[in-house]
Amino acid sequence: MSEPDVVLRLTDLVKTFPGVRALDGVQLEVRAGEVHCLLGQNGAGKSTLIKVLSGVHRPDAGTVEWLGQPAAFANPQAAMKAGIATIYQELDLVDDLSVAENVFLGHEPRRLGFIRRGAMADRTRRILGSLGHEEIPARRMVHALQAAGKQVVSMARALSQEAKLLIMDEPSAVLAHDEVENLFRIIRSLTAQGIAVIYISHRLEEIREIGDRVTVLKDGRTTAANLSAKDTPTSELVSRMTGRTIEYVFPPRPQEPPRGEELLRVDGLSRAGEFRDVSLTVAAGEIVGIAGLVGSGRSELLETVYGARRADTGTVTLGGRKLRPGNVGSAVRAGMGMAPEERKSQALLLGEPIYRNMTLATFSGLARLGFTDAGRERAETDRIAASLDLRPRDVRRPVGTLSGGNQQKVVVGRWLLGDTRLLLLDEPTRGVDVGARAELYRVIRRLASEGVGVLLVSSEVPEVLGLSDRVLVMREGRVVRQAPSHELDEDTVLDLVMAGSLMEGTPA
Amino acid sequence: MTLSEGTGLAVPGAATEPPGGAAQKRSWAGESSESVVRNLVLVGVLVALIVIGAVTQPELYSDSTWVWNNMVSILQLASVVGVVTVGMTFVIIGGGIDLSVGAIVALAGVWCTTLATQSYGTIGMIFTAIVVGVSVGLINGVLISYGRLVPFIATLAMLVSARGLAAAISGKQTQISSNAFINSLASDRVLGVPLLVYILAVVAVAGWVLLNRTTFGRRTVAVGGNAEAARLAGIDVKRHTMLLYGLSGLCCGIAAIMLTSQATSAQAAMGNLYELDAIAAAIIGGTLLSGGRGTIVGSILGVLIFATITNLFAINGLSTEAQNMVKGGIIVAAVLVQQFRFKSVTQFIARNRATTTS
Amino acid sequence: MEKTNSDLSRRRLLFGGAAVGAGALLTACTSNEAAPTTAQTKDTGDAQGNAAPGQKVVIGFSAPAADHGWIAAITNNAKAQAQAYSDVEFKSVEAGADAAAQRAALSTLIGQKPTVIVLLPHDGKELNSFGLEAMAAGIPVVNLDRAFPDARAYRTQIKGDNYGMGVAAADYIITQMKVKGVTAPVIGEIAGMDELELTQERSKGFSDTLAAAGFKVANRRAARFTVDSGQQEAAQLLQALPKMDALWNHDDDQGVGVLAAINQAGRSEFIMVGGAGSKQAIETIQADNTVLKATVTYSPSMASSAISLARLIGQNKGMSDLVELQVPKDIVLASETITKGNASAYAKLGF
Repeated sequence: MSEPDVVLRLTDLVKTFPGVRALDGVQLEVRAGEVHCLLGQNGAGKSTLIKVLSGVHRPDAGTVEWLGQPAAFANPQAAMKAGIATIYQELDLVDDLSVAENVFLGHEPRRLGFIRRGAMADRTRRILGSLGHEEIPARRMVHALQAAGKQVVSMARALSQEAKLLIMDEPSAVLAHDEVENLFRIIRSLTAQGIAVIYISHRLEEIREIGDRVTVLKDGRTTAANLSAKDTPTSELVSRMTGRTIEYVFPPRPQEPPRGEELLRVDGLSRAGEFRDVSLTVAAGEIVGIAGLVGSGRSELLETVYGARRADTGTVTLGGRKLRPGNVGSAVRAGMGMAPEERKSQALLLGEPIYRNMTLATFSGLARLGFTDAGRERAETDRIAASLDLRPRDVRRPVGTLSGGNQQKVVVGRWLLGDTRLLLLDEPTRGVDVGARAELYRVIRRLASEGVGVLLVSSEVPEVLGLSDRVLVMREGRVVRQAPSHELDEDTVLDLVMAGSLMEGTPA
Repeated sequence: MTLSEGTGLAVPGAATEPPGGAAQKRSWAGESSESVVRNLVLVGVLVALIVIGAVTQPELYSDSTWVWNNMVSILQLASVVGVVTVGMTFVIIGGGIDLSVGAIVALAGVWCTTLATQSYGTIGMIFTAIVVGVSVGLINGVLISYGRLVPFIATLAMLVSARGLAAAISGKQTQISSNAFINSLASDRVLGVPLLVYILAVVAVAGWVLLNRTTFGRRTVAVGGNAEAARLAGIDVKRHTMLLYGLSGLCCGIAAIMLTSQATSAQAAMGNLYELDAIAAAIIGGTLLSGGRGTIVGSILGVLIFATITNLFAINGLSTEAQNMVKGGIIVAAVLVQQFRFKSVTQFIARNRATTTS
Repeated sequence: MEKTNSDLSRRRLLFGGAAVGAGALLTACTSNEAAPTTAQTKDTGDAQGNAAPGQKVVIGFSAPAADHGWIAAITNNAKAQAQAYSDVEFKSVEAGADAAAQRAALSTLIGQKPTVIVLLPHDGKELNSFGLEAMAAGIPVVNLDRAFPDARAYRTQIKGDNYGMGVAAADYIITQMKVKGVTAPVIGEIAGMDELELTQERSKGFSDTLAAAGFKVANRRAARFTVDSGQQEAAQLLQALPKMDALWNHDDDQGVGVLAAINQAGRSEFIMVGGAGSKQAIETIQADNTVLKATVTYSPSMASSAISLARLIGQNKGMSDLVELQVPKDIVLASETITKGNASAYAKLGF
């Protein structure tokens, strides 16, 4: 490779925050038209690095060379103008604006101060078309889109500014399997045009598939640069990240399939436009996984079982007691707990301390005569935090200061505090790094061994297969297959999930 | 991270008890330091205002009896709005707003001073004011929780209609209170302090305990901070929201008795613009208008600051216009400071995130 | 579960019962029956001269929605006076919250073809054009209290004397100070709503007159014509003036609050003069057990007089005690000073 190819070169980049050296000598070299993967554990400095590149933070030392020139981006606008676009994990779109308005937010095509709405919509359609998503209406409100659609809009926004470098922070985290394929297709078409991509992911198989070169970060330093994404042995990558070799393991299943007494019975549950006539059971100590694409109705089903949505027809029975439809309180009192899909908007009070988040469902029970007992709450939370290996362990820290994996532990920990008999988990490992994932898997398995029933929804088929005792496959609002997980493999499930017509699958 | 093979969990199964004692001794420090700092700033402002008074009116401030009386008069001036503000603080922390407080005070005041009510004596009057306040508050709550009206609209409508009803009941006349006990609340003093001030103290302490030490308070913060998270954790958000407005109504009922006592009468126009005074005081006190955060101490300090400004302008013989302009300026300044601080906090969180995740 | 359910329903029942009971009690509590407000009317029993029934007159009436005693008394007086005449038909429209609302209300009134309109405008300037229109349409307008700037906009105006109130209050205070031999008195003033012109006129009359005697106002606070604001402002004024010789409060309605504040502060070293002349104030003056020693009138009885004038205009008559064949164009009531000595004579005019 010849030198002029390089669009971005970082040398000895340092960024410190009070008390922390977040970046401590980062080297990075990105060439035009390549997918450069950034690997690193939580806390390795990936987020900080992105923020430096996108102009949110300014480095304390070291040089940033952009298109051969030393560069310092004063703010995100400057970075964007220079051609660096960032697609964050938490997509930064305005929910109540249309797709086109989001794509051109801040640089709307104007004439005499008036936005040229027609031209804007046209150009948006063209960009969406180039991304293979002409089916997204340019005038649709963004809040009406699914996560995958929002991500496409985010990318369209980057393209609308003629970005030369696209930084993608865990783009696949919010996507279902087929959507990841689509994403890769888009990325390949971008690189073919000479656009460089910095791709951050925890999933090695993705890096193998899409990546060209890999740079590994650990504790704010580059520990390996420009490895080949295809050929470098996993063990080497992992040891660069951790200094240790790890295996991506699921805890072992019990030999005997758990056949505790039936805990949850869902009968003929339906909600118009979301799912139809779903029946399922979960026994005590059993982990039941639901596989399906985004939009297959799996999250909606979970929320309806929990009472967060009111079923049109059908019943939910827990431990022999019928639950009041559309009433979360009744489900919680009966012993159900849920870790919802969107941690930040659906589960956490970000400014409140960890312990108050952990006891959100149980503080009344820990209280005496209506008076809360903060000491006991902290003690209980400390206990759970220890068993989940929560980091940092100070339970009075605001939960918003934790990493994604640790926030998820807080949400799961919430239900370990009470007498939860059935745990509903919606995408429990989204945005969680490999190490924390393994811990969460073990926690879930341990709960099951203690007799808790688990109903799990995940976009990652290996996760569903590896963790569950029994798997339900959902497609377009229907359960198309139910089987013990050892009878299924990834390909079978993917075939079921993506099968063409609705009537093709026969419920097992 | 403990990532070595096969040991995802540092402490398995039956977790060991944490070193509870050590963890608990550090008590509340840290978790509320932000609001402590804010409240200290407010105390500083209060002291500064009093110093300005002493500097501009050295003659008056040289008389210690007068100084004491002046403190008392500030406290008494703050007492009625203070009680309303406690209720308002709960509503705002819970993610709502109550524009009808002044109107509820007027309605409860008028209702409890009709000749028919007064004929039932002290108990009848107090009962009436409280029941009217709570009922009207609960009507607000039901409209907002179950009728899904925006709080701004529901309480705005109540503002208009409650004053209308008050005018209808009073026949637009001033209703004199001839109840000696009620009237004595403002005129009688214990240890040199009027009874009204004790009522404020009791309400404020009760409000503090309710917010910081009870499940009701915890729910309030949860509902205001993230209603969806609260709902999915099994909290009955609608019911709690309704109760918050009932609580605000209760405070208004108490305030109505106090205001009636202070003016020895009630009329439909009383409690004018109390909603603005209460909201402004809560905001100055650091209550976040979007909900989820606020303190009773801050709100009470906000009320005291306003009362002290009024007093400062009065003893200096300055015009009410100037006073109102200064008050408006203080509200703007407080919100600016709040935004500034809030921004620095979010930046702090963002920074910490940057160091813990990647 | 069953048990808790039945407990719950019993509790609900009990609570429901209590709520209904409380509701019934509260509803009963809205009654104010025992205190009929006696209107200030001119006795029409003497059926001779102008009082004798004549040609039928339809009087249209509009005044701002009352939020306080004085305005309420205006409307009550007008209605009562109209009822006292057998030949007067009274059509009243509520004028709503502001000048625009009043204009709208007045246009519906015009539709009812009144012979004469009696009008207390929200703001004389803003409703001047209405006066012009009505006069041009041949409907005489009697302006009550808030003058139209344009003389063609009304047939007759009857109003109180705001400046004169201040003068009367100051005169009384000056006399009392001289009697007591106070040469440099500390004088406080509690005004009404400061943004109203009438408040400014009252204060000007007060300070002008005091200045002529070499006195001045030491501190002035503006209340809002309401009892609670009267109490609050008075409490602060008393703090600002630890020793005072005289206090003028513009409005007897807010005066209830002012007196409460004085009582709460335990102060009595000064004399107080009220304003407007409410029944409550007159009774207090008569009882002579508070600092309130006098009040200067601004009587809502002018509404009764306005109805009488409107009737005469409608019947094309003059005021029988005057030589003129028509009602005069301008009548300004003198602000009278009510003291313990003459209070009994004014008692029936108190509102």
